[in-house]
Amino acid sequence: MSAEVLVFDILAVLAVVAGAGVVLARNPVHSAISLVVTFVNLAGIFVMLRAEFLAVVQIIVYTGAILVLVLFVIMLVDLDDLPDFHGGRPLQRAAAFVIGLMLLGEVAVAVLTRTVVGQPGPWNEEFVEQQGGNVQVLGQFMYSGYILPIQAIAVILLVGTIGALVLARPDEPVSRPRPRHTGTISLGHPRGAEGEFYEPLPLGAGASIVRTERRGEMRGGIIVVNDAESYSDHPAWELEFAESSADETTYADDGFGVGREVKGKRS
Amino acid sequence: MNELTAEHFLLLSAALFIIGMMGVLIRRNVIVIFMSVELMINAVNVAFIGFAWEQDSMVGQTFALFVIAVAAAESILGLGIIMALSRRIDSVDVADVTTLRD
Repeated sequence: MSAEVLVFDILAVLAVVAGAGVVLARNPVHSAISLVVTFVNLAGIFVMLRAEFLAVVQIIVYTGAILVLVLFVIMLVDLDDLPDFHGGRPLQRAAAFVIGLMLLGEVAVAVLTRTVVGQPGPWNEEFVEQQGGNVQVLGQFMYSGYILPIQAIAVILLVGTIGALVLARPDEPVSRPRPRHTGTISLGHPRGAEGEFYEPLPLGAGASIVRTERRGEMRGGIIVVNDAESYSDHPAWELEFAESSADETTYADDGFGVGREVKGKRS
Repeated sequence: MNELTAEHFLLLSAALFIIGMMGVLIRRNVIVIFMSVELMINAVNVAFIGFAWEQDSMVGQTFALFVIAVAAAESILGLGIIMALSRRIDSVDVADVTTLRD
C-alpha cells in the first residue's frame, strides 16, 4: 500500500466518520462541527486529486461562509423550536437504514465491477504545470468555453440574494417609532429641550396660535402632548397664572396651553 | 490496491452521498437536513473531481466549481427558509410543516 493510498484512506475514513456524526449528533451545533471536519478532509482529498484551487474554494466557501451561516441560523432559531432527536419514527428510521445499505451495496458492486473507460484528456500533471498551474488552467477553461454558465451563475447568485432578503423580511414591517412620537411629556417648557435654543417668547405671543385639533391632554397634572410640535411655547405655571388672574381670558377646550384661544388682552 | 484508482474516490463519494441521504430521511430538524444536503453536494463534487483526475481532464473541476457556486446560492435560500419557518410557525420540525398538506 503506497503512501498516497494510505493518506487517501485516512482522509476518507475521517470524512465518512464525521459525515456520520453530522447525521447522528443530537445537538445541531455538533452536527455543524462534524460538517466542518468533513469538508476539511474533503479539501485534503481534493488536493490529492490535483484540484488545489477547488480545495481552497471548498474551505473558503463551505467552512468559511456556509458553516458560519448555519451557526448563525442555529443561534437565531429558538431552542424550543428544535424537534426531538429522530422524533420516534422507528419504521422510517429502519427503512432509511435498509435503503441506505442497499444503495451502498449496489453502488459498491457497480464501482468494483466496472472500470472507467474513456479517452484521457491532455491535462495530466506535467501539462498543467507547463500551462502555469491548476488555477491558470481552470481560469482558461472557465472563461473560454463556459461563459454562459458563468453568467447564469451570476444571475442565480443575484436571485438567491434577493430571495434571501425577501424570505428574511419580517412579516409586518417594523415601524420604529420616531423620536417625535415617543409620548413627549411636556411640563410646558419651551422647545429648547429638543436641543435647539429658542428665545423665550414674550407674554401673549401664544394668543395668535389657534389650533383646533386636540394635540395634548392632561394626565395627573402633567401635560402630555402627542408630539413635539404641540409643545406650548408658554410654561405651565404661566397658564395657571393666567387662569387664576385673567378673568377675561377664555381657553378653548382643545388642549392645555396648546390649542388655546386667547380672547381679550392679557393683563 | 497499490495505487490510487477510481474505486477509492467513488466509494468515498457513494458513502458520503448515502450518509447525507439517510440524514435527510431520518432527521426531523430542518437545519440538520440542510447540512445533510450539503454533504450530498460535496459527495457529488468528490466524484466530479475524482473523474477529472482520473481522466486527466479539467471539465470535472469546472463543473465542481459551478456546483459549489450553486450550493452557495442554495444555502442562502435554504437558511432563509429555515429562518422564515422558525419565525412563522415557531418550529424547525419538518413534521410540523403541514400548511400545503392540510
